[in-house]
Amino acid sequence: MDRRAFLKSAATAGALAAAGGLATPAISQRAAARTLRFVPQADLANFDPIWGTQYVVRNASAMVWDTLYGVDENLQPRRQMVEAEEVSTDGLTWTFRLRPGLKFHDGEPVLAKDVVASLNRWSARDSLGLMIKALQDDLLAVDDRTFRWVLKRPFSKMLLALGKNSTPACFIMPARIAATDPFKQITEYVGSGPMRFVRSEWVPGSKAVFEKFADYTPRQEPHSWLAGGKQMLVDRIEWIVMPDQATASAALQNGEIDWWENPIADLVPVLKKNRNIMVDIADPLGNIGCFRMNHLYPPFNDVRARRAVLMAMSQEDYMRALVGDDPALWKPLPGFFTPGTPLYTEEGGEILKGPRDLDAAKKLLAQSGYAGQPVTCVIAQDQPITKPQGDITADLLKRLGMNVDFVATDWGTVGARRAVKAPPGQGGWQMFHTWFAGGDCINPAAPWLRASGDKAWFGWPDVPEVEAQVSAWFEAKTLDEEKAAIRKLNKAALESVVYAPTGFFLQYQAWRRNVGGIVKGPLPFFWRVSKSA
Amino acid sequence: MLTYIIRRILATMPVMAVVALFVFSLLYIAPGDPAAVIAGDQATPADVERIRQSLGLDRPFLVRFGEWVWQILHADLGTSIFTNLPVAAMIAQRIEPTLSLMAVTLVFSVSIAVPIGVVAAWKADSILDRAIMAFAVLGFSVPVFVIGYVLAYVFALKLDWLPVQGYTPLSEGLWPWLKNLIMPAVALGCIYVALIARITRAAMLEVLQQDYIRTARAKGMGQTTILFIHALKNAAVPIATVIGIGIAHLIGGAVVTETVFAIPGVGRLTVDAILRRDYPVIQGIVLLFSFLYVFINLLVDLLYTVLDPRIRY
Amino acid sequence: MTATSHPRASDVTVDPSAPPGIAVASDLPDILPAVKPRGGLAGFIWRYPAIAIGSALLLAMLLIAVFAPWIGTVDPTALAPARRTREPSAAFWFGTDMLGRDIYSRVLYGTRVSLTVGFAVATLASLAGLAIGLVSGFIRWADGFIMRVMDGLMSIPPILLAIALMALTRGSVGNVITAITIAEIPRVSRLVRSVVLSLREQPYVDAAVAAGTRTPMIILRHILPNTVAPMTVQATYVCASAMVIEAILSFIGAGTPPTIPSWGNIMAEGRALWQVKPYIVFFPAIFLSVTVLAVNLLGDGLRDALDPRMVKRL
Repeated sequence: MDRRAFLKSAATAGALAAAGGLATPAISQRAAARTLRFVPQADLANFDPIWGTQYVVRNASAMVWDTLYGVDENLQPRRQMVEAEEVSTDGLTWTFRLRPGLKFHDGEPVLAKDVVASLNRWSARDSLGLMIKALQDDLLAVDDRTFRWVLKRPFSKMLLALGKNSTPACFIMPARIAATDPFKQITEYVGSGPMRFVRSEWVPGSKAVFEKFADYTPRQEPHSWLAGGKQMLVDRIEWIVMPDQATASAALQNGEIDWWENPIADLVPVLKKNRNIMVDIADPLGNIGCFRMNHLYPPFNDVRARRAVLMAMSQEDYMRALVGDDPALWKPLPGFFTPGTPLYTEEGGEILKGPRDLDAAKKLLAQSGYAGQPVTCVIAQDQPITKPQGDITADLLKRLGMNVDFVATDWGTVGARRAVKAPPGQGGWQMFHTWFAGGDCINPAAPWLRASGDKAWFGWPDVPEVEAQVSAWFEAKTLDEEKAAIRKLNKAALESVVYAPTGFFLQYQAWRRNVGGIVKGPLPFFWRVSKSA
Repeated sequence: MLTYIIRRILATMPVMAVVALFVFSLLYIAPGDPAAVIAGDQATPADVERIRQSLGLDRPFLVRFGEWVWQILHADLGTSIFTNLPVAAMIAQRIEPTLSLMAVTLVFSVSIAVPIGVVAAWKADSILDRAIMAFAVLGFSVPVFVIGYVLAYVFALKLDWLPVQGYTPLSEGLWPWLKNLIMPAVALGCIYVALIARITRAAMLEVLQQDYIRTARAKGMGQTTILFIHALKNAAVPIATVIGIGIAHLIGGAVVTETVFAIPGVGRLTVDAILRRDYPVIQGIVLLFSFLYVFINLLVDLLYTVLDPRIRY
Repeated sequence: MTATSHPRASDVTVDPSAPPGIAVASDLPDILPAVKPRGGLAGFIWRYPAIAIGSALLLAMLLIAVFAPWIGTVDPTALAPARRTREPSAAFWFGTDMLGRDIYSRVLYGTRVSLTVGFAVATLASLAGLAIGLVSGFIRWADGFIMRVMDGLMSIPPILLAIALMALTRGSVGNVITAITIAEIPRVSRLVRSVVLSLREQPYVDAAVAAGTRTPMIILRHILPNTVAPMTVQATYVCASAMVIEAILSFIGAGTPPTIPSWGNIMAEGRALWQVKPYIVFFPAIFLSVTVLAVNLLGDGLRDALDPRMVKRL
């Protein structure tokens, strides 16, 4: 199809979408061999990867928008849209040149000014981006294919920032769309990646459809996570939202869907028994469960109370509750960094290892001056990861002799309440649960590891030593220097309990036998996935 | 008759106003708001506040309420906070599966419940009567999702007669459309069957005591004719009433059924919106449901004139 | 005289002391076989099977609820993730759930929650509905307004109303009761209002008003006794409905908090696994269905026994 015809059809599609003619839902039973039906981890309620930072939005965006760099399976950033980069000797000037032939889905070529606009929008929301912005002297497009970032001080993690998979990832959009305020949603979804988002067939809460973009030119290298060539072997991908696990399981067994992002571990045995279904680990980087205590108010403003909880908690209980009986699915985690990654360390983790000493913990708790005040735990019931964690914690605190005020609510309320700095009796909180993707805990760029008091993540820990080591990591020039800083950071963070890790766990993914090319990774990768009849 | 219709329509206005005010106030005092969910895990409290301001969530109650009412009067249900799509469009996308489910359930329930209610009344106090009523009450007692799961297990997984989940629009053929709706309709319809069978039996019992029935029997009319043509027509009014009132329960039950069978309908949309605090969507849908309920009851009232010529407006 | 044998002329004996030509009543045989009403409990069960079965089952559930700590085997909230999702066995009669808790004990304790929710909602909704219905029936200028509000409430599907109210507050049994009560009040108030309206026109009420009886006395003496029967029947339906709504609320995730075992909670937690471990959903479902069935039967039986004409209003 030549460019003119494509533009015409795109214009018609655009007109249809603009006329508000949204499609009626249809889960087509005439599945052509070139349509892949996928069940995502959550609903794709909105589709702005910079404005909304949910994982599911990032996963869909990875198909629709391309990035300047992309991390490979060794977590090394590799060039994607960039053809070559150049750093000045003083480390202050970064010059990048784009690959030729890059196009947006409306047929326009990707120009440096589009990249500059996208970088401006992204860096207003991302933590690494904000750091770069603070050091920024100038960011400009030199010509159509070259752009330059000039800093006031060197920033060694530049490529990692541009190629990382953690949200918000640095997706490149057309300049006019990237001009949208970073705190407002974009309204057009013109992408730069291998799949187009078919807005006219989007039913939020139920279905999202992506179609192959014929004019995408993939790189020549073999693919590896977000790096390398992103060839699409299917024409159409349908994301079908299924909130009910039992329904999704039955649908996979029946052949009504092809690929399920994360079945719960208890359902995996019945899927494994089915000859038409393959099951494997979804993400080798796994997930890290955690709960955060509020450092501002009693009882957890005293480090002894926090350490008492750590002394008494059993990571095995938490992990078994989350992933069941299979020991291959979880590991204890005496630290904050993902096992299997270069910066993993167990320094300072003795408090979480070994047999649990409830009596010693109770003594320590008494020493901290705890006198029976209610401890408000806000726990989301609608998330399959926070709910069991909450149950185990309530039991743990009760056995420690604490007075638990169990607030069972939904994820939205937790999100709102954890931001409240008021005392617990007045709408505040003392404990909440969450989890992080392992891919986001490979380095201290994550905001939840920071301990800068008021500016820190919810819980507001204030530990100068941790902050010092984070800066040391940013300044580090070699891997050994980084590791040294991380070890000290881990120890300090565990001593003052910045937050409590409940363990490291893996999740499964499942797909039908006639689907090939599925790999493990921090997000589902759709390139080189094929489907035979 | 026309004046009656107009009077009734006017009478719905205050009802809808009450609903609108109630729903809006409820959401206004709700803790937890969409800004925090939207901002995501990485956001700082300052970010959340900015998003809240950009959504206009920090303005006073009367201002927001007034603005919403103004929009409604211009037939604009607002825009979803999460998806940025117009609420009316979102509802329009998903109304077909819900309406289909409700229609099929209605047809199924009425066509089963009325005959068995009639038979139960005819054979009142016999074993058959008690068996039928016990069976009906059972339908009332087992939760919808349990029935749904059992049906899905037996008919989809084990026997492979029907698909487990999903919805096929009518435009793709009658049988595919029905195939996806049979199990959900049966699961949802059990309660309705119980309700309607019960009221049919009771109303029929009363009618069958009447003198004109005895006369008809004495005249030698066939049993079926008596039952279904004379008695039922006279018993129809309370039956129709119950069907109308039961619509509210049907809508509520559709929520659960849509979750179990992954039907992309309005019920699921509502639950998702409530849990996400997507205010415009919640307000729009509840308003729509009330309107639907009021409208259907108006239809039922008008139906009375057809069923019972003595009733005239 | 046996009920089955047929009277014969030879059975007639005449009392000689009686004047001739007159048969004393005691002499006359019963021409029709005597219908001996079955006395006692058996008779009651035969005449009112619905009430009998319903109340028997309900009583059983009540006993379970009261004696749960003694019939239960272990602490229902004792977690033990090491022994999660075990099949029913001698040690755990109903098996264990995803956190290793004993389902048998949880189901027994769940009886308490469900019965509490059911009875509390029935009582509160009846009282509130009674008050509103009385006010609406007697005070004419308030009637229109109140009924519009009730119509408005009734037009919102009860489950959605309950979910919305639950989403406003934290999960607790009290809030569940409040949410469901609000959803059920309109029906009761309509019923009471219709009774009041029809009674207001009765001659004896008119007479009482003419005699100068004050309204509270009229309510107490004339209205209330007539509302007792339909309200009792309606209360049973409200109770059954409340129990099912509580289960559905927990299913959606907006019901009683997980620290308190309730049938709805247990089913909601086990719903993802029902294909591999069906017993987690199965046992609470049976208990719930039996209890709701019992309450419904009781309601039906009471309605049939008390006044068949009530049916049209209910």
